[in-house]
Amino acid sequence: MEHQRREFLKLMGVGGAFTLLPISIARAAAPASIEDRAHYISASAGDHDDFYVSAFNANGKILFEQALPGRGHDLGLRPNHVDVAAVERRPGLYGLILDRHTGEVRAKLHCPENRRFYGHAVYSDDGRFLYITENDFDHARGIVSVWDADDGYRRIAEFDSFGTGPHELHLMPDGQSLVIANGGLHTHPDFDGRTALNIDSMEPNLSIIDRHTGKLIHQAALKADWHQLSIRHLDVAPNGTIAAGFQYQGELTDQVPLVGLWQPGSEIRPIEAPDNVQLRMRQYCGSVRFDASGQVFGISCPRGGLITFWDVKTSGFLTHIAAPDGCGLAATDVAGQFVGTSGLGNGWRMDAIRRKRVELPDDSLKSLHWDNHLRRISV
Amino acid sequence: MPFLCRTRKVALLGATALLTVGLAPPGARADIPDENYRPVLEHLLGVVMPPKLDALHDATANLSDEIDDFCAEPDQDGLDEVREDFNAAMDIWQEVQPWRMGPLIANGRDQHIEYWPDKHGTATRQFRKLMFDKPAIYTDREKIAETSAALQGFPALEQVLFDDKLSPKLLDDDEDGVFLCGYGGAIGANLERMTGELVDEWPTFAQGMMEAGPDSMDYPDAKFAATDLYRALHEGLLIIASQKLGRPLGDGPKDAKASRAESPTSKRSLRNIAHNLTGLFAIYDGKWGDTGEEGKGLSALIDSSLLDRSFRLNWQTMTDGLDQLPASIVELLDQPDGYQKLADFAEQVSFVNTLVEGDVGGTTQLGGGFNALDGD
Repeated sequence: MEHQRREFLKLMGVGGAFTLLPISIARAAAPASIEDRAHYISASAGDHDDFYVSAFNANGKILFEQALPGRGHDLGLRPNHVDVAAVERRPGLYGLILDRHTGEVRAKLHCPENRRFYGHAVYSDDGRFLYITENDFDHARGIVSVWDADDGYRRIAEFDSFGTGPHELHLMPDGQSLVIANGGLHTHPDFDGRTALNIDSMEPNLSIIDRHTGKLIHQAALKADWHQLSIRHLDVAPNGTIAAGFQYQGELTDQVPLVGLWQPGSEIRPIEAPDNVQLRMRQYCGSVRFDASGQVFGISCPRGGLITFWDVKTSGFLTHIAAPDGCGLAATDVAGQFVGTSGLGNGWRMDAIRRKRVELPDDSLKSLHWDNHLRRISV
Repeated sequence: MPFLCRTRKVALLGATALLTVGLAPPGARADIPDENYRPVLEHLLGVVMPPKLDALHDATANLSDEIDDFCAEPDQDGLDEVREDFNAAMDIWQEVQPWRMGPLIANGRDQHIEYWPDKHGTATRQFRKLMFDKPAIYTDREKIAETSAALQGFPALEQVLFDDKLSPKLLDDDEDGVFLCGYGGAIGANLERMTGELVDEWPTFAQGMMEAGPDSMDYPDAKFAATDLYRALHEGLLIIASQKLGRPLGDGPKDAKASRAESPTSKRSLRNIAHNLTGLFAIYDGKWGDTGEEGKGLSALIDSSLLDRSFRLNWQTMTDGLDQLPASIVELLDQPDGYQKLADFAEQVSFVNTLVEGDVGGTTQLGGGFNALDGD
């Protein structure tokens, strides 16, 4: 990988650790069709503890790399704007607002001393406010902080996440509420900030709060037997259906569901794949993404090297496609179609309906380890 | 190899650990060509495993026949013979069990063959009810497959054949004796059926892995397919340490409980582990009893003979340690220093698994990727 990376940088005419490619070149390299003009953006890493936010086009050609001070995680896209929020993965201290077309740093967010960022951020639909999940580690309490993008990203409020260890959050289709996956894991910077300190007593949940007041609107948890299923990642369909992926903190051989569907106001409905796929999910789900139709969602399972696909209508398993170390997942604008990335440097276009996987043709993608989450930018 | 005293054992482990750490490959090494993984797949999946599945099927068929013969004219000698056949079938099952892939796990088959661990005591609870109600479905050789997984495989048969209160009833010509014989016969036939399915389904599954390539939606390359074998080795040791040994060990000597082990009634919890280790070492070595060939397993991908020798030495130390222990954890925990001996052995297994993670996983490049190892 290092060799490929050096070669790629050489071809780009630079020898340094990161490259900013002018948008004009990026656009010139992009193919013509509407779908092919989409860009994809993700946190990434090199081979030497060097971390980036990187974008590539639909062929897998890298458009820019912006160096980060530490490992990133997910990205929040500001609607109708160039801003993209990159928040350090847990226990994170920095947040950067970047230009999605060039990677240029537009603003910096500093985490308060008694808080740590947890890697996920989302904007309000008018783009005014940015919401970030955080850990109030001294009180083992989850926080959603609120930042005013129109006021130089000033931190203006924080809400209770109504759980411990909040991770991914999304805006609900009403535009007025946020759904938060409270993973249930308590961590503390004194113990490296990542080691779970409460495996025996963890209580994960999904919570929906009013994004203006922080008031709890809905909350649901799995049954008590499954309290070690950390609910960490989720996506929301246009009709408000929430798909969630779990990470199990118990034994490897325990038979537990790893995926759930939630209609707020009801119970979380756990769903399982056939045994031979369920085992290969290795008790661990990464990204969750609905397709363009909102009828199919994909869940990546990097430990098992699989992307699993699920049907909302039947609340059932649809199919799976092998994707070694695959984790990043973004929906294209075609129903059932996704783009996925891997820590090994691969990028694929995948069709869940036809069970098909095609490698993105441009090898420059292989110069990086692609991190957990991938976002699509319509250009 | 003679039993090593604890001090010498620790010193040896420490020395070999240093040796292996010293030999650890540098971070930036050339990728192993994908075609190098293919012979390993072909050997382990195509040469080594099929005869073992045949042996498992033969052993369960023999067990089923022996139960029928015994039940035709029950006596103590016959019961002893059936118990021996149970142990023979269980031995080969325990060798196959850690290869958790394909038909072994499809449709919950591994759990139907052996429902374990039974964290909530489901089998005991259901078994009590079963003996009270004696439903006909449990003596039906076809329909027993539709019943609870906890009541249709090896652990249920173990209760029938080895439980101090139940097994003597097998010799009686009364309602309990007739039911238990019919039930045991149905379990035997069910095990024979399930292991037959394994034999039938394995070749297609193995072919899919051996023909890994970009067009396969299951195995896009041979390396990815070989990862499942590496995982079986790694997870097999993890399950031994954390469950097969960890559950009876509990949180400390006062919390120890032999009944939480696997197969406590037939007093073969550690014998199970010995056979698990045989099946697991075959993944590394390529030779499994009379089957296969040394050096054609994952070890074929290790380019350092010193690292290979070190791993084999540590594995041998672990199995030598186990050889010094009784077959039964019940018996071991009854000894004054039994808990410590069991804890020491669990430590050895965990140590060997660190070598699997670090050395075998690293050198074969099968040990997991950027996201798989450190996600969020």
